[in-house]
Amino acid sequence: MSKLTIADVSKIFSTTVAVDTFSLDVADGELVCLLGPSGSGKSTLLRMIGGFETPSSGSIRIDDEEVIHLPPEKRPTGMVFQSHALWTHMNVFQNLAFGLKLRRRPKAEIKERVEAVLDLVGLKGYGSRMTTQLSGGQQQRVALARSLVLEPKILLLDEPFASLDQHLRERLREEVRDIQQRLKITTLFVTHGQDEALALADRIVVMRDGRVEQVARPDMVYREPATPFVAGFIGTMNLIDGTVANGTFSRASFSVPLPVADGPATLAIRPEALSLTAGGQGIIHRVTDYGTHGLVDIDLPDGTRIKSMISDAKAFAAGQSVDLKPTAISAYRDNAVIYRTR
Amino acid sequence: MTTRPPSGRAQSRGLIGLLLVAVPVGLFAWMTVWPIISGLVQAFTPTQPNGTRPFSPANFVEFFSDPYSLSNLGVTLWTCLVTLGLLLVICIPLALYLRFAQGRLAAYVQTMAMFPMFVPSIILAFAFIRVLGPNGTVDLLLNAVGLPKIRSPYLTPWGPVIGLVWDNIPLTVLILVSGLGAVSNQAVEAARDVGARPLTLFWYIVLPRIWTSVAVVISFTMLGLFSAFTLPYVLGPASPEMMGPFMQRTFGDLRDPEMALTQATVTMLFCIAFGIFYVRAVARNRGK
Repeated sequence: MSKLTIADVSKIFSTTVAVDTFSLDVADGELVCLLGPSGSGKSTLLRMIGGFETPSSGSIRIDDEEVIHLPPEKRPTGMVFQSHALWTHMNVFQNLAFGLKLRRRPKAEIKERVEAVLDLVGLKGYGSRMTTQLSGGQQQRVALARSLVLEPKILLLDEPFASLDQHLRERLREEVRDIQQRLKITTLFVTHGQDEALALADRIVVMRDGRVEQVARPDMVYREPATPFVAGFIGTMNLIDGTVANGTFSRASFSVPLPVADGPATLAIRPEALSLTAGGQGIIHRVTDYGTHGLVDIDLPDGTRIKSMISDAKAFAAGQSVDLKPTAISAYRDNAVIYRTR
Repeated sequence: MTTRPPSGRAQSRGLIGLLLVAVPVGLFAWMTVWPIISGLVQAFTPTQPNGTRPFSPANFVEFFSDPYSLSNLGVTLWTCLVTLGLLLVICIPLALYLRFAQGRLAAYVQTMAMFPMFVPSIILAFAFIRVLGPNGTVDLLLNAVGLPKIRSPYLTPWGPVIGLVWDNIPLTVLILVSGLGAVSNQAVEAARDVGARPLTLFWYIVLPRIWTSVAVVISFTMLGLFSAFTLPYVLGPASPEMMGPFMQRTFGDLRDPEMALTQATVTMLFCIAFGIFYVRAVARNRGK
């Protein structure tokens, strides 16, 4: 078990700032997800921790030891790549044993450790198979096993399930979580899938343009997003720009009490926190029945479209006039929270 | 199930296809297969004093019992192997650099590596003489700083080696860079991640992935070197000489076409060996 400390790390490519003064402490055995859209700097950050990119400034410490000057082969990290990056001229056993052979471990120990880790990832008996004979999910398991067999202090996963189908992705992320908790290995997981981050992480780091937008537990990121960007990025969110005057937020015919100073504001309401009653604030554009629940699209008179999640999709129909009743809201001004219902 | 006879239109299309193929196949048979058969027949049927041509391996016995022919074959093999070794030593690092380096310098290096492709062999040979020949540029520069002259490789076996290495760099680099395209950055990074240093990385990860390209380089280069003429003729020693100039001299100066054909047959046997090596390497790669 090891801890990772990233302090004021920046990476500038020519004129582009990929990572901007990023700081984060990852505790022993913690699994932290780096979440953000493409180009937010999450993979660059992971590559800097792995030693594949050199930071322009800042410090990266593993167990209080500076590693920034070390090449990848000397860092106590193990990286799992998006494309598996298996060596196709070697079989599964040789892929896993390669790192141990470089460390000149005895043959018996290599065999024992490789077999143990193959068992851990559910590939017992696959050692003699060529990697090209494996399915995508099995290849990703081999890639994970290749990193785990060396017992790294920090495990780095760079969108490892991006090339897999949804079903397999869900199964593998559960397996990765189980393995990570069993081994108590400190892990950094890069993803742009919010559901993956919410399902896996002890903490989520939401990144945007190389900067941290929010670091928090998954439930907090979902329920109490720190910025409008996080609110819009995690889950489905109605983000409504409007004006506050005399304690009331207004946008077209929609208004809601908001006890903050007058001025512009962005209101964030989850579809599940917006109930509908008969009225005249908006007109239902479409009702989608998902079986377990319904999703209603409502158009305000100025064209703003708002989503509401209801338990019974048959209760409303397209063309019906409704009023919107938020049960929980967050309000933002200047990229910061100004109000949040408890 | 019934099968319908081909329609007239399908038959005429098939005929057009055969006609299109017939032209190159006919040319190949006329320009390549026939001379080979004719040459082999002539080499194995030496003309007797009475004008008859019985089947006999006498020409080959003469070739392999003649010390001069054997030394020419030896110098050809030596030149080919040394040139090939130097090409691999120079071009593999160059190809690795071009594959993995980024930026403007890599683009300049690539342009420089391809440059010899656009220089005719004869120009290269005279440039070589002007620079490395007796009283060439190098000698003049050394003389200017008070140093002794070099032992010029001109008209020694090293002359053709230097010229042929320079001449073959572009094709070798192109083949190797193309082969290195099969080595992904992430495969290399994964190897570094588990602890591989540069040499280990090259030996265990990169080389097995580009082995087919290396095999292609070996066979192509050897085939090209065996048939090289201009550079060995202009830069090499008069004795022993490489098979190219040797065959030309036997045919043109000594007016002994039968022996020239015998020399060509021996050369062809070596080329066939490398041809088989090439075909096997490509077939093995396709089978993977």
